[in-house]
Amino acid sequence: MARFRNKNKKAFVKPTGKKKQPSVDHITGDKIPKSFVFSRGKLPGPLKQLELDLRKLMLPYTALKLKEKKRNNLKDFLNVAGPMGVTHFLILSKTETAPYLRVARTPQGPTLAFKIHEYSLAVDVAQSQLRPRCPQDLFKNSPLIVLSGFGTGDQHLKLTTIMFQNIFPAIDVNTVKLSTCQRIVLLHYNKDTKLVDFRHYSIRLQPVGVSRRLRKFVRNHQVPDLRSLQDVSDFVTKAGYGSESEADDEVATVTLASDLGRVNRASTKSAVKLQEIGPRMTLQLMKIEEGLCSGGVIFNEFGPVGDNKKQDNKKPEDQEDAEESESEDISADEGEGEEEED
Amino acid sequence: MGKEKQTLFDKASSSGDLKSIIQQHTLFFDKLIELIPAKFYVPSDDKKQWFQGLSKDEKALAKKESRENIKKARRERFDPNSKKTTLDLLKQNLEKEKSNEDSDDEETEVKPVMPGLEGDERSVTYEELRQRLRRKIEELQAGRNAGSSDQSKKKNEKSEKKGIEQKKRKRDLGSEGQKSASIDASKKVEEDIAEASKELAFSHVKIGNEEKHGKKKRKLSKFMELEKAQKIEEAKKDPEKGEMFAKKHSWKAATSRAAGIKIHDNPKLLKQSLQKKKKKQQKNVEKWNERIETTEKMKAERQQKRSENIAERSLQKKMRRIEKREKKLMRPGFEGRKEGYINQAVETGMRRPAL
Repeated sequence: MARFRNKNKKAFVKPTGKKKQPSVDHITGDKIPKSFVFSRGKLPGPLKQLELDLRKLMLPYTALKLKEKKRNNLKDFLNVAGPMGVTHFLILSKTETAPYLRVARTPQGPTLAFKIHEYSLAVDVAQSQLRPRCPQDLFKNSPLIVLSGFGTGDQHLKLTTIMFQNIFPAIDVNTVKLSTCQRIVLLHYNKDTKLVDFRHYSIRLQPVGVSRRLRKFVRNHQVPDLRSLQDVSDFVTKAGYGSESEADDEVATVTLASDLGRVNRASTKSAVKLQEIGPRMTLQLMKIEEGLCSGGVIFNEFGPVGDNKKQDNKKPEDQEDAEESESEDISADEGEGEEEED
Repeated sequence: MGKEKQTLFDKASSSGDLKSIIQQHTLFFDKLIELIPAKFYVPSDDKKQWFQGLSKDEKALAKKESRENIKKARRERFDPNSKKTTLDLLKQNLEKEKSNEDSDDEETEVKPVMPGLEGDERSVTYEELRQRLRRKIEELQAGRNAGSSDQSKKKNEKSEKKGIEQKKRKRDLGSEGQKSASIDASKKVEEDIAEASKELAFSHVKIGNEEKHGKKKRKLSKFMELEKAQKIEEAKKDPEKGEMFAKKHSWKAATSRAAGIKIHDNPKLLKQSLQKKKKKQQKNVEKWNERIETTEKMKAERQQKRSENIAERSLQKKMRRIEKREKKLMRPGFEGRKEGYINQAVETGMRRPAL
């Protein structure tokens, strides 16, 4: 009846189905590597922020809102990782001396333990910039990775390169779109100090030889302010002072194969500009273990003799390791389960 | 207009110079011609578009050509450099005719003062502006190159080089970069780049040709894998080369695991998985036998029931027939069918019913 109107009428909300992430890349047919970023033990404030920053970095193939409880241990994570197809773990932990970052490959893989000497958060980096930049779809695609200074000689360095190369999915030359390559992670190894610099940039392409006004106009399609000009031709041909970075070397420009956005046209020169986003870290490779935070140590920064010396510093580390080695037998079972389902 | 002519005549008569009169007339007419678009004034040689006799493809081609011509003409109209006013086209046509008729004579025409000179002036200033801009940029470049320190330059080049390498890899693996070897600075840049690129590694790139020719790796059965793993363990324990072998093996295993290849080298785990497989197999066998049993049982049951039902039915049929027959003899006062004499029953030794 019209008189009795139901005031609590709720609009019909169609339940939005969560997009299932593909575990196999439908273009190349390879498995897409996924990761979990979590912490072991209680972390102080800035380190928690670093953990969130690392999670954002690993998007889209990571669990952004991973909830970890105090009572979860490594075994639980392993149990969940199997069915979800997670291949890498990034584990943050803190000891008295310094925070540690461990990069491990899930079923049985090697673990690389890095000591974080210095780090800055993404917020700090953005605050230090005059014009911080974060377009909307910056984190929709995985970043590219560049490793420099690692060389091809030392085994532990080779292992590190391979490890990092496999954390991010491979790009298919035939089907990749230029607009999907928007971020880049840079790892630079300094042979003298044995430190690894970790940087995270966003890529931007700007056409070369076009005045700033024109570029902005084409991009925004906003009516420009012509108050001070006599004629439209002044707007187009005004010889503005090129910005310092405009007059770049020939080397920094590339010729695009296709159009990118409104401004860059195919087969015209464009300059590649990198702007830093995301955390900055200085890492030192401490040790490499055969298993997942367990197993034999195949590489140690200070050699086999130094183990005893480092006992004092790494007591909490060892305690953690002891816990995890207990769960290793049980986790090995899970590892077996992985192997069976080859 | 008549009055104008009269005044001009008056002026002419006063000055007495015929040429100047003609000059003024031509100026006036030229300005008039300028106002008329060339399409209507200049006789065009182009025949009308003849599409009818052509085949389908030819028609399409011709139409495409005509469309493109239209586009080109439109662009030319708005090009500030070209001076295709009606007057110019007219002059061109005249010149063509003249060159066709008499190629020997070179007649100098009396060209009136061209109104298009203003356009020239405009284009010159445009060019000038462009050159000025270029000069300024070069100055800035030179200033920048001289002033920047080596370190910052190296950093810049490295980051730029990386960007380029990425793009190159993505699009075109074979093409070379643009090398400008004229300036010294650029040469140095090249050297730095060459040095830096020796030590760069990038994310994996799929080209797509490799997989087709790859060998198909046979999967070893678990048992064979177990044996292999046990052998490896024994080799590790070998006193002579055991340690080295163990190290080499662990590095190899770690690198391939990091790359995503699965390595089964733990005999304990392999044994466990073998056991699991066996148990699973046994369970399956049991289940299968059970299933066969049950089917057989069900089958037997059903068959039995069926035969029972059939027998029952035939019996019932008989009984019905007897009933029908007997119904006729169940008259009141009678007990049914005659069953023989009483004595007969005595003879066989049955007890005489008491009377």
